[in-house]
Amino acid sequence: MSLAEKAVKRVLELGASEAEAYFHSEKVFWIEFDDKIECFKVTESNGLGLRAALGKKVASYSTSNISLEEIDEAAERVVRIAKVTPEDLEWRHFNMSFSKSDARGYYDESVEEIGYEDVVEKVNMAIERIREYSSMVKPARGILTISTTRTGIVNCYDGEFERRETGVVAWVRAKAEDGLEKSIGSEHIETRFWKNVNLEELASKAAENALNFLKAKPIESCRIPVIFRNDVFASILGTMLSGPITAEWVQKNRSPLAGKLEKKIACDRITLVDDGIMYGGVRTRPFDDEGYPTQKTYVIEKGLLKNYLYDTYTSLKDNVKSTGNAVRGGYWTPPQTAPSNLILMPGDSSLEEMVKETSRGLLVEDVIGEWLSNPVSGNLNATVTHAYLIEKGEPTIPVKGVMVSGDFYKMILEDVEMVGKDVRNMGQYYSPTIKFREITVAGK
Amino acid sequence: MDLEADLEYVLKKSLEMGAKYADLRYQENYYESILVENRVLKSYSSRKFSGVGVRVFVDEAVGYASTTSLSRENFLKAIDNAIKAAKALGGGEKVKFDFEANRVEVKSKFTVDPENVSAEEKISLALDANRAAFFDDRIKNAITRLGFSKDSRVFLSTYGAKVKVETVMSGLWHESVAKSYKTMERVGYSDSRCAGFEFIKSGDWNTFTSDLSRLAIEASESVTPPAGTYPVIVAPDVIGLLLHEAFGHASEGDLVSTQESVLYGRIGEKIASEMVTIVDDGVVENGYFYPFDDEGTVKKRTVVVEEGVLKGFLHDIMSASKFSVESTGNGRAQDFENMPIVRQTNYFMLPRDYDFDELLEDIDYGIYVCGKGATGGQVDVGMGTFTFSVGPSKIIRRGRLAETVRGVVISGLILETLKTIDAVGKDLMIKTNVFGGCGKMGQTVKVGFGGPHVRVQKMTVGGR
Repeated sequence: MSLAEKAVKRVLELGASEAEAYFHSEKVFWIEFDDKIECFKVTESNGLGLRAALGKKVASYSTSNISLEEIDEAAERVVRIAKVTPEDLEWRHFNMSFSKSDARGYYDESVEEIGYEDVVEKVNMAIERIREYSSMVKPARGILTISTTRTGIVNCYDGEFERRETGVVAWVRAKAEDGLEKSIGSEHIETRFWKNVNLEELASKAAENALNFLKAKPIESCRIPVIFRNDVFASILGTMLSGPITAEWVQKNRSPLAGKLEKKIACDRITLVDDGIMYGGVRTRPFDDEGYPTQKTYVIEKGLLKNYLYDTYTSLKDNVKSTGNAVRGGYWTPPQTAPSNLILMPGDSSLEEMVKETSRGLLVEDVIGEWLSNPVSGNLNATVTHAYLIEKGEPTIPVKGVMVSGDFYKMILEDVEMVGKDVRNMGQYYSPTIKFREITVAGK
Repeated sequence: MDLEADLEYVLKKSLEMGAKYADLRYQENYYESILVENRVLKSYSSRKFSGVGVRVFVDEAVGYASTTSLSRENFLKAIDNAIKAAKALGGGEKVKFDFEANRVEVKSKFTVDPENVSAEEKISLALDANRAAFFDDRIKNAITRLGFSKDSRVFLSTYGAKVKVETVMSGLWHESVAKSYKTMERVGYSDSRCAGFEFIKSGDWNTFTSDLSRLAIEASESVTPPAGTYPVIVAPDVIGLLLHEAFGHASEGDLVSTQESVLYGRIGEKIASEMVTIVDDGVVENGYFYPFDDEGTVKKRTVVVEEGVLKGFLHDIMSASKFSVESTGNGRAQDFENMPIVRQTNYFMLPRDYDFDELLEDIDYGIYVCGKGATGGQVDVGMGTFTFSVGPSKIIRRGRLAETVRGVVISGLILETLKTIDAVGKDLMIKTNVFGGCGKMGQTVKVGFGGPHVRVQKMTVGGR
């Protein structure tokens, strides 16, 4: 019997009517660097999250100390807290039947074999690449993390299920300086596979980017067509939709998409899927954080809102099936409903075509502060740090320091002009490059 | 304790394994948070987190590793990982190994360990405090959070150091949202101490929460101040926040040595009015309890600014080595999974001799800038610019406090602001916070900040 199973047994013995144990262990290589490697750190950690229900009283407790004595103590604590917790009248039960999808591409064996020297060499070469690029460019703060994780779930009804995952995240930044002019360029990748990571290529792009934006400045305020590069729009999608499409938000009356199933909320070109089984997706896995199988769910199909995302709790409340979207932010937080890989499906335009067909517009390559936008009101705001002004079908001067803003829901319903074929991700959000007819740009 | 024997054993072993120097940090952290929203218990969460972090120097290269598995075998594995990382790095800068070999055990003062207080008692206290906020139907929402933490750290080094520090904290945070006519205003504030449950038990929290509701109502019925430049009196919690964010970070040795700080190369220069003396101190009443840093160095009072003159920076071992000075005991790590970096502890301005009324009397028209309900801000350490959104404040008219204004935003250049301070009060308030801390390079640590009431001749004030 595993420790997680023992924990479940112990919680039940102490008088709980239901119990669930979530076990997580990980090993992470963490490298911070600027003009040299500043920190090389290897962390190995374990954690156990317990949930107990006494009838409709539900509580959770977590510990990083995975020993028999500690598990007894944790079991006692979680039951003690459950006893004094008020009833959740909507509570039905934990996931009663575990199952796996045939998701693939979430584990890369070669990640386990990466040597310390390999990592150092790769990073040093990237730093060197930036230095060589130009005398005006220097490496700036970057980070590389390589992780291997093991997650196990068991409850009083079923399990134990286990999955192993790997992940690599890299951010490479360069700064350029010419007299008083300063700029930053950055590139990133988040992937399941080590072989996909080409730090030198990221370094070159970051350096090029920094150099190109030395002379960037704001433009006059205007309303013009705006092209958002794929990863920028991916991030905006995540901010604006990852909450509203969950049944959790809908049931709590926080989602502006409540009551809109089968209604038109976007134009025909917009199809949005939550795909937990996509090969190699950064959130691809065979089962969710409650042991429910992952799946591909159409959220928006050709502009029509088709489905919300569900975990066990929210699905039982609405009397539907879970979509396998139970996600724990860490072993210490109870599951919540959240997207897996959220993908805006590609269209057929290339970036070149989009630019060519723009007489005057803005090509946005990087923004900050987009996460401060309001998903409830749909009010989108982002500060553009890297963009090009397009004139007569050609990218011209670099632009920074302007704000783009608009009503996100109106944008996806009325203003989409072209959808690219070049999907790229920012974390778990995937999007092609997309062109909007007209957006407010606040500048000088 | 077996565990300590294991730690000492593996530390010795590290030298045989190729380390020139090594230190270990064992940490046990317990955190509990009880959240009540609109008279209903929303969540009761608690977490235990423990493990060991090890830092090794192989020649001049530094490697770091950590583990949550508490066995001799896993500690050795962590040391092996750290040595491999250091060896792979190679090179490194020559560091002056100024590590102190203190052997000491200290605890912050507390009488009732929060871990031993029943969940029922904590929940009922939080529910009562939350209910007290709803005395008026203009209060639309109220959230109360009770928090407790117990953090025990043991620092051991191959130089023979053994420093044990235990810090217990308790606190309450509350936010009330009021709506009058069409304006919605939220006012949140917290009170925390390095103390046990006795601090919570003895507090008058119903008054604390109802006062915040009253302030939220008052703010929702008030207007924003006319934008402009005014003489202002800055409340202790605001001056504390301002100093910590806009000036304190700029005085951190690592950011100075990389020339990211506006204070680079300015030691000995007059950078503030002579009224201004700023210190960083590890142990101070009502502040965060931090007598030793995460490199085993004693954290004494460091004078950063003395009567307007920049005297020194904050350092850990690495940054002190770069400046050829001694560490000031500011090497701090969020937890055992992170390496220490230069951080502030309790950073504050020393009081002088003005009464609050004396500060007021010379102001014909100005603003008393208050901290209750402040929502934060943004600074640029390189430029020294700051923008803070503060709480509901008061207009000062002919030397007297007048009406309340809401949506007050202050901004400016910190070095100019410090120069236009023309009077410093004789009061001193230091605050710490169990619910959060200060972030830098992805690490969050608990800090204390504060000061006296301070009069600034010119401050830019904007409405939201």
